[in-house]
This record gives sequence, C-alpha cells and structure tokens, in this order.
Amino acid sequence: METKKIRVKDLSVFYGDVEAVKNISLEIHEGSVTAFIGPSGCGKSTLLRSFNRMNDEIINCSTSGEIFWLEKNILGNDIDPVLLRRAVSMVFQKPNVFPTSIYENVAFGLRIQGIRDPEKLDRKIESSLRDAALWDEVHDRLHDDAFSLSGGQQQRLCIARALAIGPSVLLMDEPTSALDPIATAKIEQLIHELKEKVTILIVTHSMSQASRISDQTAFMYLGDLIEFGDTEMIFNSPVEELTGQYISGRFG
Amino acid sequence: MAEENPLDGSAPKHYGVIGLLFSSASLSVIASALIIYTLADGTIDFFRSEEASIFEFITSTKWVPNGLNPSFGIWPLLSGTALIAGGSLLLAIPIGVSSALYLSEFCSNRTRKILKPLIEVLSGIPSVVHGFFALLVISPIIREYFDATYFNAASAIIVVAAMILPIIVSISDDAIRAVPREMREASLALGATRWETASRVILPSARSGIVASVLLALARAVGETMAVTLAAGSVASLHLNPMKETQTLTAYIAQVATGDIPPGPATDAGFAVGSTLFIMTYIANLFAIRATKKKFGNSKNYSVGYLISKLMLKFRYFRNIESNISISSNLIEPLSPNQYDLKRRSREKYSVFLIGSSFSLGIIFLLVLLQTVIESGINGISYNFLTNFPSSRSIRAGIGPVILGSVYLISLAILFALPSGVGAAIYLNEISRPSKINFFLRRTIQNLAAVPSIIFGLVGLVVFSRLLGFGLSLLTGSLTLAMMILPMIVVTSEEALLAVPKGFRDGALAVGATRWQTVRHHVLPNAIPGIATGTILSIARALGETAPILFVASIFSKTAPSGILDGFMALPIQIFFWTRHPKQEFQDLAASTILVLLVLLIILNLIALFIRNRAEAKRTW
Repeated sequence: METKKIRVKDLSVFYGDVEAVKNISLEIHEGSVTAFIGPSGCGKSTLLRSFNRMNDEIINCSTSGEIFWLEKNILGNDIDPVLLRRAVSMVFQKPNVFPTSIYENVAFGLRIQGIRDPEKLDRKIESSLRDAALWDEVHDRLHDDAFSLSGGQQQRLCIARALAIGPSVLLMDEPTSALDPIATAKIEQLIHELKEKVTILIVTHSMSQASRISDQTAFMYLGDLIEFGDTEMIFNSPVEELTGQYISGRFG
Repeated sequence: MAEENPLDGSAPKHYGVIGLLFSSASLSVIASALIIYTLADGTIDFFRSEEASIFEFITSTKWVPNGLNPSFGIWPLLSGTALIAGGSLLLAIPIGVSSALYLSEFCSNRTRKILKPLIEVLSGIPSVVHGFFALLVISPIIREYFDATYFNAASAIIVVAAMILPIIVSISDDAIRAVPREMREASLALGATRWETASRVILPSARSGIVASVLLALARAVGETMAVTLAAGSVASLHLNPMKETQTLTAYIAQVATGDIPPGPATDAGFAVGSTLFIMTYIANLFAIRATKKKFGNSKNYSVGYLISKLMLKFRYFRNIESNISISSNLIEPLSPNQYDLKRRSREKYSVFLIGSSFSLGIIFLLVLLQTVIESGINGISYNFLTNFPSSRSIRAGIGPVILGSVYLISLAILFALPSGVGAAIYLNEISRPSKINFFLRRTIQNLAAVPSIIFGLVGLVVFSRLLGFGLSLLTGSLTLAMMILPMIVVTSEEALLAVPKGFRDGALAVGATRWQTVRHHVLPNAIPGIATGTILSIARALGETAPILFVASIFSKTAPSGILDGFMALPIQIFFWTRHPKQEFQDLAASTILVLLVLLIILNLIALFIRNRAEAKRTW
C-alpha cells in the first residue's frame, strides 16, 4: 500500500496585500517528521498555520491554492475548521496553558467533544500526559494551577493537551524556542517517539534540531519554497546555493 | 587618573515624586477616616436620644420615623435594599456579561465601534434621569399589566439594572479583550468552536475583570439613591413584593437630606441607617475578597466573578450530560461531522443569537428613554429657559445659574480627584512592592469604592460644611464629589496600568531605568486610553450625581456662584425636585432640564471618546 500523503498545491497566503507564502507546492508523507526552516519572516509559520486553518482567525488574511488530505481539499469551504483542528492539532511557540488546573488543561479538548465520563477522562488524561512524558512529574498534583509548572513542563502540557484529542497530524511552531537545552532535549525525544502515532510538521530556527529530528526538510526564503527533500540530502548536499549558505550559517 | 567604576554612586531616587504618589494613595485612608467619624458620631447621638434604642433598631420590623409613637426597626429598609439590588443584579449580570462577550468576540470591529459607545451612553445617563423615566414611563406600564401601586419596586429595579448594565459591559469587555491571543489560538487549535472558546476559555480567563465589573455594579445598585427615591416610594415595610411600594436604606437618607423629615431623632436616624449601609457594604466586600483569596493567592482579590464562572461551568455540565461519544470514531472519518458536532455547531449558533439579542435589550432601553425625554422636553427649550433662574412659576422658570453651578462643581471635583487618583494607582501598581502598607491602602480603596454615594453626602455635611466651616458652598460640594469619584479613578487607572504588557517594564528596567522612569516613559503613556475611559465614566457620574450633594445644594439659590464659598444649585438636583412636582408643567420642565444635562454629557463624552479611539487605533500591542 502506498503511504498516504498531504499534498500542498499552489498555496499562497496574503496578509492584506503582502504575500507571505508564495505559490508553494509540496508533498508530506504521513508518519514522518517534516521540518520547515528559514530566516525569520520567510513564511514558514504562516505555511504551518494553513494546515489547520488558524489563518482563518486573522482578519485580513486570505489564502489561495489547495491542501489535499484524505481526498479532500481542507482549505475548501465545505470543511469545518473546527473539525479539521481536531484532526490537525497544534503546539505554539510560547507555552500557552489555560489559567486552570493541569488536569483541566488536558480535559478541555475532550470536554468540548462531549466526553463527560470521569473515568474515561481520567484515562485519556493519564495516557496523554504519559505520551507527553509529563505524567511522572505531575501525577500527584493534577489539580494544581498549570502556571505552577516550569516553562518546559508547560510546553509538554500543551503537547499533552494537543495529543489528548487524538489528532492524526501535529503542527509545532518553534516549540522549543522558549526552552532550555534540557527541556528541549526532552521534547525532541518526545517527537521521536510520537512519530509512530502522528505525522509531525515542525517549524524550527535551530538547524541542528531540524537535522536531528526530521525525516524531510523544507527550506523557505522570503515566502518561496527554495528546496524540499530528505533531511540528509538537504544538509549534506543541498542543490540550491541559497540553502547551502543558510545551513552553513552564512546568512539569516 | 583612576578609571571610573560604573558601580559607584547611585541612581536617582525621585523622593519628591514618590512622596507625592504615596500621599495620593494615602488620601483614601483620610477619606475613610472621615466617613467613619461622621457615621459613628451621628449614630451615637441617635442612640443616646430617648426615642431610640439599639435593641429596637436590630429587632423591630417596623420603621415609622414620624408621629407620636415612632419606631426605628431597620428590617423594612433592609428588605427594600435587598429587593432592589438583588432584582437588578439578577437582570443585569446575564445581560451584561453576554453583551460584553458578544461585543468582543462575535461582532465585527466596525459594528463594535458603533455599539460599544452606545451602551456606554447608558452609564452617562444620571440616576435622577432614570428615576424620571421609571416614575413617569415604566411605572404606568407596569401598573397597566400588573396589580402594582403608583410607586413600586419593579420600576426601580428595571432602571437600576439599566444603570449598572454599562458598568458590567464596559469593564468586562475590556477584560475580555485583554485576554492574550495565544489563549484563543490554543483553544481554537484544539478544535473548539468560537462559542466554546469564548465561553470556556476567554470568559474564565477574563474573570478578574468581570468580577471587578460585577462588584462595581453591586456597589452602585446597593448605593443607588435617586432613581429609587423617585420610583419606589417612601413607605418602609417588610416585604419582597416588587409590585408594592418600598423604601431602601439610601432612600431614607435622601428623605432626610431633602428636609422631608422633621429635625430630631428621625433625622438623626439617617446616620444610624448610614452606618448600617456602610457596614453592609464593608462586610460584602470583605466576603468578596476572602472567597477569591483561597483559589488565587497572588492574583487580584475578587470573588463574585470567580463564583459566577464556576457556576457557568456547572451549568454546561448539566446540559451536556447526555452525550458520551468516543473520540476514536474521529480517526476513521476525521473531517465529517458526527451527531454531536452538528449539535455543537447549532448550539454555537443559538448561543450567539441569544447573547446578541440580550445585547439589543440595552440599546432598546436607551432609545425609548431618549425618545421620551426628547418628546416631553424639547418644547420647553428656549433662550429664556437657558438663562432665567428657577422660578416657582412654570412659565418663567429657567436654569441659567443651575447650569453654571454644575459646570463649576464638576471642574473643581475633577481638579481635586484626577491627579490624586492616578497618582494612587501608580503608587500601588508600579512603585510600591507588596507590603503591609500597600495591602492596607489597596483594601481601603476597595472599601471606599463600595461606599454608597449618599454616605458621602453625610460626610460633606458634617465635615466640610459644619466642621471645617465651608458651609453650604461650592467648595463643600466639589470636595464631596471628589471624594466619591476618587476610588473609581484609582480602580480604573489600575486596570489600565495592568493591561500594559510586563515586557515594556522589563525592557526599560533592563536598560537601567528607575521604576519611576519606567512608569513615566513606558507604562503611563500606554495606559492613557484606559485612564481616559475611567475618567469619562467618572466625569459623567459626577455631573449627574445627585445624592451626595442633596444635603449641601442651595435649593433656593437664584444666582450662579461667584466664588468657591458661595451656595450653588446643580442640574440633577433641579431635575429631582421638578420630577417630584405633582404638576405636569413642572415634570416637563424636568424633561427640558434633562435634555440640557444630556447635551452637556454628550459633548464631554465625544471629546473623551475621540481621545480614546485615536489612542486605540495607534496601539500596536
């Protein structure tokens, strides 16, 4: 059986008149980790936010082109973004926990789907926290304020929260940029393990992180997709001169 | 030559400025002391008299201050207050919070720009005008459909609810908009609908602001005097029937202030009633602070809102018990909605419709009120009316000196209150670190904010007029009003300061700025729109405020004050007396005076709104 794919076709995203993503096409294999790299303002976060249509929430932002997944154009009007986001979950740059307890943070996504059974919630929350490698640190204080956690723990709580709703795809927008190396290492380890269960798309500023964790890498520059391919190839023998310069740290 | 060590010497200390800010913050302590002195002194005098006893005051269910056999039992006045305040909150909280949610989360920016000021107009309408509307418009309607008396609690409840609505809407809306965008995104990214995001994430996150709004609304409802005095009547009896006449604690004090009560124990009883009112608001405030403290140790001390958001969560749990759909089904067909999703979507639709229509209630009220006032007042407006003095002959009566009296009064009051209010907010929020003194000052201001306005009237009468010898003068009136709006300015300024991102402060401190320099250059400039909003509300309130100056205005004054120690008359007081007049001609004069007052308020508001909108448009964070 051929592996399933997410196909991006001629995607452009505008903020008012500014074209932040310029006519990009690429294919992402399910069950892999894809990294998006490039200097600030290159449109990689904007591209990432197209996959769960978070750009819909920005006034002034318009999108053209298509993203095919499960035989549907997820950018189409017939797709309810609310349902899309349940299947394509997201973790943001800054840990954005809700001002409630650790437990309620993870429970939120489940409760809105109508799950009320306390046992079932407990079970789901435990397994998500385990998946996010946070369970051992918080299992005895699930009802504490989520803000009492460290930054790294908060980010893993956000990952647990995103996993709890059972997504097929996980978007991560520079998830470790606000974290220290130890917390970063934990999250990278986590990405490695999660790959089995979900397709991961990650935006990162760290070249070494991209090379460590991703199967494929896309290099973007000023809204254009410059190069896309297997991570090993991109880092060892890039085709484009610009890619080589960026990777070796000569600009950006 | 030795090189200069950068660590030698010291940064500027700004003793002068910080001293000033500290004194501003301490003004509230002085004000509180004056209140306690006034009430205690008057109450002791009352209980010393032969006709009164503490035992009767606490236990008797009869309040008959006049006549041969007077009886002073507080319960009838308590039940009246509970009826009016409780009823109006019951109406205003759900309407207000859903209006705020609708404004900030569900309507377009352009609609919002039109609608929000419209709701704020309601708060600019003075309580005496609401009283006019309650007595002459709402009461007749209620009497037609229900078995109600001429004066009844229901008409007062409705207008008091309308009065506190904008407080809830305006402040809750600010709080909701201050919730960081990340919080919204987090929720939406988990597949929540916009309604679920708004009701479960945004609303609880904005809790502290919403509670602040409800507390302010409660304080205003309990302390509301003029509308209640006009519409609910002056018979104190123990009942909770909204269709009957009732008297509140505040209305009794107003009755004393207008001289309807003969001197003697019945007048002194005003101080005992004032003490009761004061203790009640103090205890309520204390409870509010206690209840939140347990859950949110270091955050702001609010409670009612926390309870409300808890309650709202409970509500949803009950409603959704029936569904228990497994999420694993999503994985088979993730992009097509199941039964429950369809239900969520339709729930979103009717919820938004519901909060949208509750929002329109406030607007409808406003339009009907304005239409009535214009209809009955427009014919009376003429050059003579605007320049003549208030005559007892309706044809010749005018409001020339009354307009001037109001303008002088408010200008002086703002002059006293604005600098010290903003200064206090800066001191508490930016300069001082958490300490016992800071805690004490904050608590004092919170309590002062909850003191009903009519009590300031008693203080003005006893302290400024009699003790300091300013008499029944402009100075006494403006000091009284300044005292009243001070905590309001402090509280709103603090909210504005809190809304400035912490990063601005860190950034300035990190390049070696002192705290005062940080505030001066980076915090205060960004807080100005918020402070302006608070000041608009304060000015509007002071201009329309009747109760505190009811004691000290000179009802028979025929000329405008020419110095600060002259007697004065003010627009709301004139409206009050003309509304109470049994003759239609005088009620129409009241309507004309209301029109003049409203035009003044509109001008003020337009100026302030212009400032605020410009600042908001410039804001980039």
